[in-house]
Amino acid sequence: MSGHRVRAITRRLLQGFRRDRRTLALLFVAPIVILGLLGYLMRGSTSSPSVGIANEDSGPLGVMVADALRHSSHITTTDISAADGDAGLKDGSLVAYIVLPSDFSRQAQNGNVAPEVHLEGSQPGVDAPVLQALQQAMIALASQVAGRNVTFQPQIKYLYGGKSYDTLDYFGAAFVGLVVFFLVFVITIVSFLNERSQGTLERLMASPLRRGEIVLGYMLGFTVIALVQAAEVLIFSLAVLKIQNQGSVFLIFGMEALMAIAAVNLGIFLSMFARSEFQAVQFIPLVVVPQILLSGIIFPVSTEPKALQYLSDVLPLTYAVNGMRDIMVKGADLTWSSLQLDAGVVAGFCVVLIAAGTATLRRRLG
Amino acid sequence: MTDSYAVDVEGVSKSFGAFKALNGVNLRVRQGEIYGLLGPNGAGKTTLIRLICGLLAAHAGTVTVLGQRMPNVAVLRHIGYMTQQAALYPALSVEENVSFFAAINGADEGVKDALELVELYDRRGSVVATLSGGLRQRCSLACALVHRPELLLLDEPTVGIDPQLRVQFWESFRRMAANGTTIIVSSHVMDEADRCQRLGLIQYGRLLAEGSPADIRAQGGSQNLEEAFLALAGRKAS
Ligand SMILES: Nc1ncnc2c1ncn2[C@@H]1O[C@H](COP(=O)(O)OP(=O)(O)OP(=O)(O)O)[C@@H](O)[C@H]1O
Ligand SMILES: [Mg+2]
Repeated sequence: MSGHRVRAITRRLLQGFRRDRRTLALLFVAPIVILGLLGYLMRGSTSSPSVGIANEDSGPLGVMVADALRHSSHITTTDISAADGDAGLKDGSLVAYIVLPSDFSRQAQNGNVAPEVHLEGSQPGVDAPVLQALQQAMIALASQVAGRNVTFQPQIKYLYGGKSYDTLDYFGAAFVGLVVFFLVFVITIVSFLNERSQGTLERLMASPLRRGEIVLGYMLGFTVIALVQAAEVLIFSLAVLKIQNQGSVFLIFGMEALMAIAAVNLGIFLSMFARSEFQAVQFIPLVVVPQILLSGIIFPVSTEPKALQYLSDVLPLTYAVNGMRDIMVKGADLTWSSLQLDAGVVAGFCVVLIAAGTATLRRRLG
Repeated sequence: MTDSYAVDVEGVSKSFGAFKALNGVNLRVRQGEIYGLLGPNGAGKTTLIRLICGLLAAHAGTVTVLGQRMPNVAVLRHIGYMTQQAALYPALSVEENVSFFAAINGADEGVKDALELVELYDRRGSVVATLSGGLRQRCSLACALVHRPELLLLDEPTVGIDPQLRVQFWESFRRMAANGTTIIVSSHVMDEADRCQRLGLIQYGRLLAEGSPADIRAQGGSQNLEEAFLALAGRKAS
């Protein structure tokens, strides 16, 4: 062991960083961006899901329970009629609705209430506050019914998913697409950078190849790899992990293919802004982590602070994740307008990224 | 008549930031000529070659190649460019590399000929990452001429090549030139310079002297080409 030689290595590393301002900046900017985002997301989230209340009780107690629900800090409520509830769940304006049946007051006097709770069911994490709010309203109710114990047996119904769904089923749908997206993104950005550093890009530029041909060639090559990977991920998820799937396997595969194409082009585009593999590696968490946080996988987009919702709305992954959940949890097919929108937006991103990658390609040698 | 020249560089200047890498260079190369670019490290040889194939755009002046103003994508299929560092795909075999460059230049044949020319036909299956430096250089040359370009730009092609093969390389260059290929080659090696029909001496981004090896000897006042060059370079610098 020679302290002198060890110091030489350490010094060499730091000297390199001093010249590589961009890596240095990314090194210190990336954690702040990621942690800041996480903090804002968790503290600022308006995690009070919107719940419809249909009070059909002819007696006095329904009004009282509805009122208690309205004042709950866990949920935001709107009054609806029971017939409109499912439509609200489907178009996403409600995550749940509660029906207090016409004989609700009588049930309470008899000591056994059974309000209906309809949950949308495709978003993990929003069911708990709904049930919690109802529980508290029931405690308030019990104190009103003198001299009796009131037992509480909510009738829970799921529009999608349901009791048999576990956490993996909810997250699995999103992650099936995510895994492919990020792995393809990483190999593209690195191999495009190699092309630059080993000098072959200069040769390509001195050949009659057009920029668009390079970008398309890359896209096709990596898409082939990505599709094989997508097939593997899908088979593993469905056959081994047994993630529940309501939709068509071909649709899932199609959505994955679109995500892979978007990832390849995002990789090509971003590699234009990295001068070294070092910098490219820094890009990865900066691109990956915010997208995971903001795409609605963990925190539903509707519960994000308003400012972050705008950001979520322009990220391709938000639409991709939503599309995957639509297919796998809700069993959506191409006749669903929400799925058409999701697939359309992801395809649109692909086109924009191809154009952007092509446009940025030549500049570097000029 | 511009058309009689394969390459016509007129008053070209190129700066990188405040640094002037080329300063008012004029240079004309006839079809079928072997033109040698000579000059010390950092003189601007590579920069000039990049300008000729349109990889860089000049700040002033014009570059005309095969009758077309550069940069021009259509002309590129008639140009073969061998970069100074052997730029190859390390994970591919020799033959796969050469085939790739043939394909992107729109040529499907000639891979075998090119490999035989650089004496790599027997090693065609070897992965480039496992080749020695000189073998890589040969593979790089094969990639540059596989599509039989009308203009060959060779940036120090014989660095790291053993003497026997170097002689063979120059044999083939001469044969190609005799068949009408124009060759611009940069070099530091004086006995190679002697094999060129015309030479250009570049220093500090300027073309200091130009002419046949005999002209250069006369201008420099020495029978030894190297001494003639040093004399010319020293005279202009002082
Ligand atoms: N992209 C660039 N940015 C900044 N300076 C550059 C760039 N390319 C070249 N230069 C500078 O321009 C000058 C000429 O470079 P060039 O590569 O043309 O030299 P050369 O004659 O090929 O030298 P060598 O014999 O060492 O290959 C050098 O001083 C070099 O540092
Ligand atoms: Mg050079």
